Amino acid sequence: MKIGLEVHVQLPTKSKLFCPCPTTDAPAPNTHVCPVCLGLPGARPMMNGKAIEYGILLAKMLGCTIRDTTWFARKIYFYPDNAKNFQITQYDRPLGEKGMYYLNGKKPIRITRIHIEEDPGKIKRVGDLSSLVDYNRSGIPLAEIVTEPDLSTPAEAREFLGQLIRDIRHTIDIPDDGERSIRCDCNLSVGIERCEVKNVTGLRNVERALTYEMVRQTKLLKAGGKVVRETRRFDEERGVTISVRKKEMEADYGYIDEPDLGIFNVKELADSLKIKESPHNMIIRLTKEYGIDERTAKQFVSTSVDLARLFEDLAAATDAETARTWTSGAISAGWRAFEARGGKDASEAVSIVRDFTNGKITDTECGLRIKAFLTGTDVDSVNAGSADLDAMISEYLDGNPSVVEDYRKNEKAANRVIGHVMKQTGGAYSSADIVDATKKLIGERL
Amino acid sequence: MSQTSVLSSLSEINEKYRMFRTITSETDAGDAKFLFSAKDNLTSKDMETCSGSRILEGYRPPFDATSIARMREAGGLLVGKTNMDEFGFGTFSTNSAFGVPRNPYDLERSCGGSSGGAACAAAVMEGHVAIGVSTGGSICCPASFCGVYGIVPTYGRVSRYGLLDYGNSLDKIGIISSNASDLGKYVGIMAGADPRDPTSCVQPAIGARRKLESVAVPKGAAEGVSEAVRKAFADGLEALKGMGVDVETVEMPSLKYAIPAYYVIATSEASTNLARYCGMRYGHQYGDLSLKFDDYFTSFRSQYFGEEAKRRILLGTFTRMVGFRDRYYSKARMVRQSIIGEYRSVLRGCDAVLTPTMPFVSPKFSDISIMTPVESYKADILTGPPNIAGMPHASVPCGYDGDGMPVGMQFVADHWDEGVLFSAAEEWEKNFDAVRPEVSI
Amino acid sequence: MDRETVEKVARSAHLKLTEEELEKFSRDLVDILGYFAMLDEAPDCEGFGIDPIGVADVLRDDEPRMELDPDALLEGMDTYDNYVRGPRLL
Repeated sequence: MKIGLEVHVQLPTKSKLFCPCPTTDAPAPNTHVCPVCLGLPGARPMMNGKAIEYGILLAKMLGCTIRDTTWFARKIYFYPDNAKNFQITQYDRPLGEKGMYYLNGKKPIRITRIHIEEDPGKIKRVGDLSSLVDYNRSGIPLAEIVTEPDLSTPAEAREFLGQLIRDIRHTIDIPDDGERSIRCDCNLSVGIERCEVKNVTGLRNVERALTYEMVRQTKLLKAGGKVVRETRRFDEERGVTISVRKKEMEADYGYIDEPDLGIFNVKELADSLKIKESPHNMIIRLTKEYGIDERTAKQFVSTSVDLARLFEDLAAATDAETARTWTSGAISAGWRAFEARGGKDASEAVSIVRDFTNGKITDTECGLRIKAFLTGTDVDSVNAGSADLDAMISEYLDGNPSVVEDYRKNEKAANRVIGHVMKQTGGAYSSADIVDATKKLIGERL
Repeated sequence: MSQTSVLSSLSEINEKYRMFRTITSETDAGDAKFLFSAKDNLTSKDMETCSGSRILEGYRPPFDATSIARMREAGGLLVGKTNMDEFGFGTFSTNSAFGVPRNPYDLERSCGGSSGGAACAAAVMEGHVAIGVSTGGSICCPASFCGVYGIVPTYGRVSRYGLLDYGNSLDKIGIISSNASDLGKYVGIMAGADPRDPTSCVQPAIGARRKLESVAVPKGAAEGVSEAVRKAFADGLEALKGMGVDVETVEMPSLKYAIPAYYVIATSEASTNLARYCGMRYGHQYGDLSLKFDDYFTSFRSQYFGEEAKRRILLGTFTRMVGFRDRYYSKARMVRQSIIGEYRSVLRGCDAVLTPTMPFVSPKFSDISIMTPVESYKADILTGPPNIAGMPHASVPCGYDGDGMPVGMQFVADHWDEGVLFSAAEEWEKNFDAVRPEVSI
Repeated sequence: MDRETVEKVARSAHLKLTEEELEKFSRDLVDILGYFAMLDEAPDCEGFGIDPIGVADVLRDDEPRMELDPDALLEGMDTYDNYVRGPRLL
């Protein structure tokens, strides 16, 4: 089975692609419109430079080759939401081509191209009466990312999209309004012939649409039939794909270049823009550079990119193993508290660990100091707090010595202690702290 | 004649010559510095704008075209919108869905096109400044047929914001007037970058005025033209020599491809520009809502587009189609590049390229009605080349035939070098005995 | 330029032609394309050729701005509840 996607992502510019109308939520239909995005006779497009920047960043993120010069084209098709009955998009010279994107760091998905285009308006369906069109969306910039049919299952397609969206958000700061800004045209072939399911909104629907289509095509072929190459649409309510266009109406888009915009020499701009490393790429790089396992790297990066960067600073100041121990231990334990109190610069933690590796303080002291720093308290309160915790645990162990014996055989015995303390303290201590203290105190009694 | 009295005579003038589609309701010129008209494919807030087509009947644009706005800001009073071939499709203004302008030298002849109404207004009302638009020859052709001066600035010199597009890489806004000095004056007012038209944002300043010292006539330029044109052009060359202008002959072999290349590019672009006219948003709306969208759109377009519009839409749709695009659309673009290269190369060695403007004098309406499409396209044979190349060019009257019909000759300068054209026209005017049409109302 | 092609082109361009129009336009297009055929012998040439003067790198800032009142823009249009009305889809 082969699956290819054409992903449409709205770019987060403040104004539209070809006119200065705002892109933010409009108070009512047709309130963020002007002669350009309404396609009024005599109006013509004016290119939003920010959209090209965003396009370049995404092209780089996808490992695409960016040409020196790019330009736009008209794609002609008649539809009520299409203000000019042509869409300004890119055809001969897309912004980026021939990229490569790794799903989960392993499976390569070839990126055919990425280009910029304008969104059409939105039609409010009124049953089988006239269409009602809102052109607020008309002219909003989109990036279209086209993959080769390298995806193998609907679930994989969904995973790909999820990762792609996370990386895109990280690269160009798309606001987190869920799935609203992602639309996909999905191509699936079980056998030789493929079908396209157009305009599917959101990850869940992509998986549903592809799954339905996969089943439909499989059934058809099993029954000895042939899959007809066609365009379909996805009915969200019923969860089915429905054939849309008859072959005769197959639009010949009749592309011409858009003379009103001219060409764009993007080489210099492309060379000067640096992309932020995607979380995904960071995970891969950390495992490779520091020899830590992927699970740990993933934990760091998904907790916070800043935490992962701190790990790197620590590794540079001491060594990879020390950095790993302390980052996954005391630093991770206190990280949420650190973020909660608005902490920005955690470099103090590096100095504390350096004091430990230099022999100036003990490892216990180091742990206390880190905790104090991250939670924004002083060492004494931490000490006192942990003393209380230690006392509570010791008290329990005194009363339940069998725990220590059981622990010798199976570490899970500690859970009884942990459970008890958690119940007693009702969340006053982080579970990480409780686990650490318990294991330490049991260890002392072994 | 005072400006106010011109205003009051407009209806009467229009009865006879049919140059205006809409006339202003203003009766008092007030403190207007000058009166002007605009071709009806330029949007005007206060006047209906139809671009010569029924599909836009009733359309009142919500904004003024930049060219009109700048003229107004400079103190101009817009007296009316002039008749034209539908969307610019034509050489005789006979494809107008409304009035067809009549030649002031002979009412049974065409004013040329597609800015026929503009040239007619300029010829009938002395010193009237008419804004015209040229795509393949639509300013210089009518200027030549009506015995007046016309200038097409460099492509991208005047903002096209508010111009109902025919061919986006070909349309240019210019001036037609019986006074040569109006050309420089009013192009100067309209020119300059406008962020609403990106193609107007790369222009350098208008080339300094300088004396025309040399012209080059392409070999074969005077071949295939009528005897009257050949003679008047020859007279024009002699007159130029008498003015001290050096006249040479050059080879320009790429020019013969200009007309097919022009029509391919123009119709390709036009067929996309006209896609938006479909019974929604402007012009005729409120159709049969029981029709599905494809049929709904088709019904308006079929009902309201004229014959030439349909022909060019079909042609331009074909030239863009898969399987034909390379041979037509892409090839024509390449041909344009060769023509530009040839002009620029020749213009390194002279101030302007010179040819007759049109291959014949204005034809009678009866003759036009039996012309085949190819025959009428070939009428653009001399105006097509500078237009496809975006070169600035100007037409000046250079003689009259046995029936008194005007003949024009056309100067083509290098990109951005309008200055030499302004001076050439002004100098020529001093030495040329113009014969004004008899205007009796 | 056979009849079938003209019909296909007309459909694509959303024009419905009468029988006479179909015949006339077919003839016209054959003539015109015959004339265009001379392009085949024209030499090839370099350059992007999107416009005659090389318009390049004209950009605008990403600043939102509304200059005209949207209500005024909608005035001449067939609207319902501030939506622009158009034909049905299905």
